[in-house]
Amino acid sequence: MVKIKINDQNLYAREGENILKLALKEGIDIPHLCYHEIFEEPYGACRLCIVEVIKDDERFITTSCTLQAQNGLEILTQSPEVVKHRKILLELYLAQAPNAENIKKLAEKYGIEKSRFPKRAFVTDHLNGKCILCGLCIRVCGEVMKAGVINYIGRGPSTKINTPFFEENPDCLGCLACVNICPTEAVSAEEVENRKILKSWSETKVKMKECKNCGSLFTTYPLWEKTKSLLMEMDTELEELCPNCKRELLIKKLTKNLPLPKPY
Amino acid sequence: MKIRSLEDLEEIAHRGIQKIKGEKIRIAVGLGTCGIATGADYVYTYFENAIKDLTERVFLTKVGCFGYCSEEPLVKVTIPGKPLTILSKVNPEETEEILRAVLSGEIPDKKALCKIEEWNHITEYMVYGKGLANIPSYSDLPFFRGQLKLVLRNAGLINPEDLEEYIAIGGYKSLHKALNMKPEEVIEEVKRAGLRGRGGAGFPTGLKWEITAKNESDEKYVICNADEGDPGAYMNRNELESDPHAVIEGMIIGGYAIGAKEGIIYIRAEYPLAIKRIETAIKQAREYGLLGENIFGSNFSFDIKIVKGAGAFVCGEETAMIASIEGKTGRPRPRPPFPAEKGLWGKPTSINNVETWCNIPIILAMGGERFSKVGKENNAGTKVFSLVGEVKRIGLVEVPLGTKLKTIVHDIGGGSPSGLKVKAVQIGGPSGGCIPEEGFDTPIDYESLRDLGTIMGSGGMVVMSEKTSMVETALFFIGFTSEESCGKCTPCREGLKQMLHILHKILSRRGSEEDLKLLEELSMTIQTTSLCGLGKTAPNPVLTTLRYFREEYEGLINDGKD
Repeated sequence: MVKIKINDQNLYAREGENILKLALKEGIDIPHLCYHEIFEEPYGACRLCIVEVIKDDERFITTSCTLQAQNGLEILTQSPEVVKHRKILLELYLAQAPNAENIKKLAEKYGIEKSRFPKRAFVTDHLNGKCILCGLCIRVCGEVMKAGVINYIGRGPSTKINTPFFEENPDCLGCLACVNICPTEAVSAEEVENRKILKSWSETKVKMKECKNCGSLFTTYPLWEKTKSLLMEMDTELEELCPNCKRELLIKKLTKNLPLPKPY
Repeated sequence: MKIRSLEDLEEIAHRGIQKIKGEKIRIAVGLGTCGIATGADYVYTYFENAIKDLTERVFLTKVGCFGYCSEEPLVKVTIPGKPLTILSKVNPEETEEILRAVLSGEIPDKKALCKIEEWNHITEYMVYGKGLANIPSYSDLPFFRGQLKLVLRNAGLINPEDLEEYIAIGGYKSLHKALNMKPEEVIEEVKRAGLRGRGGAGFPTGLKWEITAKNESDEKYVICNADEGDPGAYMNRNELESDPHAVIEGMIIGGYAIGAKEGIIYIRAEYPLAIKRIETAIKQAREYGLLGENIFGSNFSFDIKIVKGAGAFVCGEETAMIASIEGKTGRPRPRPPFPAEKGLWGKPTSINNVETWCNIPIILAMGGERFSKVGKENNAGTKVFSLVGEVKRIGLVEVPLGTKLKTIVHDIGGGSPSGLKVKAVQIGGPSGGCIPEEGFDTPIDYESLRDLGTIMGSGGMVVMSEKTSMVETALFFIGFTSEESCGKCTPCREGLKQMLHILHKILSRRGSEEDLKLLEELSMTIQTTSLCGLGKTAPNPVLTTLRYFREEYEGLINDGKD
């Protein structure tokens, strides 16, 4: 264990431990958008988690998601220098994603009511004027779900996130990990009849799976296929059932020779 | 034949010497991209047709670029026993007249730029001959006087497509020497030389190699960064086009020192001739056993492959380059881990710039100690600059580090051609900044340039006269970096875009003091918080012009008030 100092707080950390993760665990508030604990490697794109490192007589700004614990490390999370740059970044975010509610809230917290930069102009936007291009949706889709349905398109200020050629992507599992991980609630999806429609991703449609027993739409077809193949040894009788019917059947099976508990 | 020993090398050198200064008259046409752009390929074809029946007496060949771009096309004529003569601005129509003169043992005076009686290739000393009293010497020309050619020692003098000529001027002797040393000793030599990375940041090369060598791994790589992309910079292109074997030799030595078996040259696809020449050179080196298994009969095996860039400036950044080589989108990742620890395919990798690699055979030939004496303290060696813009004499200039900026701009470059006052020099490409005339007394070294708010960069040097608007210059560079930003991190992607907005606003005389203040604040944030070097240095053109030419910004703002 090594000794580190965050603001006025002395802490013990594993050598090499991720500082942002540690700080969040300790309840120290460091704003961040592109960091998520499911990823091992830091991405370093949103730059909001900057902190000031004090090393001997030197002070410098760096992102805490890429900072590793070392003995004697001393950082400030809200120094005037950090706040100054964070505020400019928030102004940039406000201009880029004018509809993102949590960016507005975060900006308010830092005393920013209005960005000095002109707002991004758009007539329609598949990400509802909320996307900040943090890349979490791309990473969760590619690295975690191994589906790789979406990616960055273009570069620099014209970077977008979408499916290849802005066309429906049949690789989509309809798992909605992208919707759930998005820090600004930019990705939208809806369920229409027996399909999930990924409105943000070129209206990609994913068929739902019906429970053989009760007929409820309990998951998407590709997701069901994927998990089915993952659980080969599973009882085939359970395969096509929704979680509720599955639970009931399992109870029945397990309690076949046992008396059921008396209801109170 | 496969070269196995020093004797083999000498045998080939002997053959090469016959081509460089044999019994025939040698006519060498400078066929770098710059020469070709001014019609040197026509000159070559005209000569080719004219000497058809004279091949017994005349040897026609291609050479690279000698660096004096504003005098292109350059033709080097060597009459046996006489000095090598450089003819300038040669027209295809003039080839017959030139040929007639040289066949009768004369040099057409009016075409002659200068003569070279002897030349130090560092790895070899070449004596051509004396005479031709009415032609000025190489060192008498203001363009060459202040220069010291180490990296460009062979450029424009040997045929880059002929391994024998490279060996004739002492090529691959440094490799032989290195293979007879321990890898640690090679690294020690490079460290002693004090060579710093020529890509711009100036990290000590020996130290980089040492770190890469110490990281244990079954596989390691060396990479040559040939993704030169700064507007106005073409040093690396010329180094590759004119002397490709120097780069290859440097890389083999580097591979041996750090324990890598594979080298990769990452070269931009926009340099087709450089790619062709380096491909030819690799092929030849393989044929002669200088690449491949058991080089020089040793246990060391090494090979090089080429990866072509797909047009993204950001791939010059090392982590983006690695991503690109691996087939991913060229986007940088946070460092650490540095490539020396986790580089290509997650293995220790040393990435060095073309010019850095070119310096390696020189260090081995001169010895680190002697090399370190060139230039100034902590800034050993020379640096090649491409001197372009509002300057009389345009071309590639190689000077010892520590040379003053005014020496380059005024003495070598000859100042502005239009008689206008030179106002500033933009150095270091889009990552660099503008240095005003008051700063021309500054010695060119990594630290002094940093203090002026710019960087050494890869060596682009654009001279600007008083008619150039510095705000427009800043706008040009911000436009460039904004377009070339990979789009991964917010300050670079969004920030540069907003900087462009503000600069446009100021230039269209709608700007205010608040805009100027915001421009400054934003610049500082982009500089401090960007992920990679591109973003961190991108605001430099604005910050330096604000520092030295603030009145131009204010003038535009006040203009708008009326």
